[in-house]
Amino acid sequence: MAGKPGTTPTTYSPSPTNQKIRRPIFNENEVDWVRPDGRGFHQCRPAFFRTGAVNAASGSAYAEFGNTKVIVSVFGPRESKKAMMYSDIGRLNCSVSYTTFATPARGQGSEHKDFSSMLHKSLEGAIILETFPKTTVDVFALVLESGGSDLPVVISCASLALADAGILMHDLVASVSLSCLGKNLVIDPILEEESYQDGGLLITCMPSRYEVTQLTVTGEWSTPKINEGMQLCLDACSKLAKIMRSCLKEATSTSQE
Amino acid sequence: MGLPDAPGDLSSEVDVDAFRRLFPLRFYERHLTESIRPDGRPLGRARDTTIALGAVASAEGSALAKIGSTTMLAAIKMEVMTPSMDSPDEGCIAIDFHMPPICSPIVRPGRPAEIAPVVSKQLSDTISSSGMINLKELSLVSGKAAWMAYLDIYCLDADGALFDAALLSAVAAFSHLQIPAVSLNDDGKIVVVSEENGGKLEKDAVNKERMKLTLKSIPFSLTCVLHKNYILADPTAEEESIMETVVTVVLDSSSQLVSLYKPGGPVLAYTSAIQDCVALTRQRMKELQKILDEANSGMEVD
Amino acid sequence: MVGLSLGEKHFIQGGIAQDIRSDGRKRLTYRPINVETGVIPQANGSARIRMGATDVISTVKAELGKPISLQPDKGKVSIYVDCSPTAAPMFEGRGGEELSTELSVALQRSLLGGKSGAGAGIDLSSLVVVEGKICWDLYIDCLVVCSDGNLLDALGAAIKAALSNTGIPRVQVAAGASGDEQPEVDISDEEFLQFDTSDIPVIVTLTKVGRHYIVDATTEEESQMSSAISISVNRKGHICGLTKRGGAGLDPSIVLDMISVAKHVSEQLMNKLDSEIAAAEAGEDES
Repeated sequence: MAGKPGTTPTTYSPSPTNQKIRRPIFNENEVDWVRPDGRGFHQCRPAFFRTGAVNAASGSAYAEFGNTKVIVSVFGPRESKKAMMYSDIGRLNCSVSYTTFATPARGQGSEHKDFSSMLHKSLEGAIILETFPKTTVDVFALVLESGGSDLPVVISCASLALADAGILMHDLVASVSLSCLGKNLVIDPILEEESYQDGGLLITCMPSRYEVTQLTVTGEWSTPKINEGMQLCLDACSKLAKIMRSCLKEATSTSQE
Repeated sequence: MGLPDAPGDLSSEVDVDAFRRLFPLRFYERHLTESIRPDGRPLGRARDTTIALGAVASAEGSALAKIGSTTMLAAIKMEVMTPSMDSPDEGCIAIDFHMPPICSPIVRPGRPAEIAPVVSKQLSDTISSSGMINLKELSLVSGKAAWMAYLDIYCLDADGALFDAALLSAVAAFSHLQIPAVSLNDDGKIVVVSEENGGKLEKDAVNKERMKLTLKSIPFSLTCVLHKNYILADPTAEEESIMETVVTVVLDSSSQLVSLYKPGGPVLAYTSAIQDCVALTRQRMKELQKILDEANSGMEVD
Repeated sequence: MVGLSLGEKHFIQGGIAQDIRSDGRKRLTYRPINVETGVIPQANGSARIRMGATDVISTVKAELGKPISLQPDKGKVSIYVDCSPTAAPMFEGRGGEELSTELSVALQRSLLGGKSGAGAGIDLSSLVVVEGKICWDLYIDCLVVCSDGNLLDALGAAIKAALSNTGIPRVQVAAGASGDEQPEVDISDEEFLQFDTSDIPVIVTLTKVGRHYIVDATTEEESQMSSAISISVNRKGHICGLTKRGGAGLDPSIVLDMISVAKHVSEQLMNKLDSEIAAAEAGEDES
């Protein structure tokens, strides 16, 4: 029943994923098209955070933005791998993977190397690595369901998990991305919008210090447009950080009771 | 941990937490003589259990099961395959159990947990031998096309009794599974009847509407830890690591024994102990059946 | 890691602050760029770029393939970077792998535009032979032979040079193929089409050391950086991709300032590179 050994038949998904025509959700000249989920262009999805999602970890957080669902566990500071050389500052190790059912087409569920290194670069500037010399902090993220803007959600969620684990940081790290569709900038894009975006911009920042820890841009942008995009993202980041902070406060107040 | 400590022993001098870490077995035995466990449970009681159906929107069927803090997320993706020659009118189920690094400090990326393939195999054996699913229901066009159900179970938090939680999430995901309506297109491929076409059924509609599987005799399991003469139902990770003899009993909804695992361990169980385990499982099976029914009826109301 | 004494570190940092670097350059001056094209005869196009001790080779291989169904009117391009273990001690074993992936991703981000293909430096629609059936797949492979800082800029320049050196064979499509059949093609081995590289951006990396930023940093200078931003700019002055390296946070206004500096620098670099490429091509034709 569970697949005779050695015979794994080739299967295909019956869903029409390879739609040949790009769905005309907006028209170049038309100004008032609506986003598939009815949001305004500059409106983020409602964000939900909860810390302490995994008991086995030193710290953890779960984040849900629309259909994007992510869980991040933090382990350590713990002994570094044997092969590692001595280091007088702590090490940060990040890994992001997807579940096989996260994407519309069934995936392999393997590690997403690109996202892992992006997550590392976004967080390392915020963590005070000097506080745990010779040891490693592991940040593992699992995308349970991919609904667009996966990486920014992973990054924000990871910083919350680090806070939950009691790792010292300069500030929380909040991350927001936006897509450029024709002339319009739409913030916090969903999977569908990301799949036909003309360009993308992702910012991770430490909102209280007003510092950008990571920034990537794809596609063609003029300078005023980059300014506009960055400002939109930064504003959204500071709003997001407020939500994250209130989540942390809530968690500590309930644990004290 | 407000238990009175017996005098004349190191335990009266050291802190309870320190004692627990230094002498875990003595710590447990002290509790067991009082017929209570450190988390306040009587020996035979399982932890609080919840099921949430439909946790993953991108899958056709999904469920999140929690037993205590052990958490499992199961999701089923349906794909189409050509059935094998010897069973042209049967579909197939592929079950995989994953322990991603987030679930436990012992799992690291690139170094999968040793127990994961074991649980994976146990799950597929249990589900196939229970006869819960009639594979003929997964057939689409005899000899041409049939469903392949990919069931992936992710352990999100590992705190003992992994198999019980995994099996519970698996059967719950099957009970939630909605097989999509499909039709055969001109290229001989199966495609989903999309709602945008107004559900207009072509003459080759294979599956006219979304349907659920009929599940008969659902298997439920209970893992017990044996230590001396004590039987501890539904152990936590700590209990499993201290007392190594584990017995897992799987019963179906009509109380028939589906399978029984006792993978070694230092305690050689008497048959009476096994009978006690089965009796505990029978009780647990009724509990779990109720929880699953409630989860399903909750879905129908929505 | 570069082992530098405290004195050396001060010397580098102090020099940058006073706008005179260890090798005598100003903050925004590149090292001399040496371009050679057609270095690998088997490839459809190739180029070698040397900037100081940094030495990279880029090759372009064109093969016929099938467009993906989502974008039937576009060819495919893949970019892969390999860091040779001889290039730097830290690349030995698997040490270069992480950097290789990082560079590959950064180059793809800079050259291939958004998901929809808009803003791509390499015009993918020019690679289509028969829409939905046949297209050219370009495999761009880069090798880092020797590393002395500023790899991304060098690799970007090498790809640009290799693509201007690339000749894609003219393809004759046999008429008569209909429906789903794959049409038969005849690849000419005499006639080659030149690839249009005017839209390909150049990559400028600004490395922030102390309070100043420098271009074309050497490995020693890179070891002193707090963060770096790589910006790819095309001839229109539009930004085609941006990647940040280094963990330290930057004030958004500094980021914007760096973008405008990079745009300014890119014009000079673009002109310099174009003339070098033209000279290299002319030199190759003569020989």
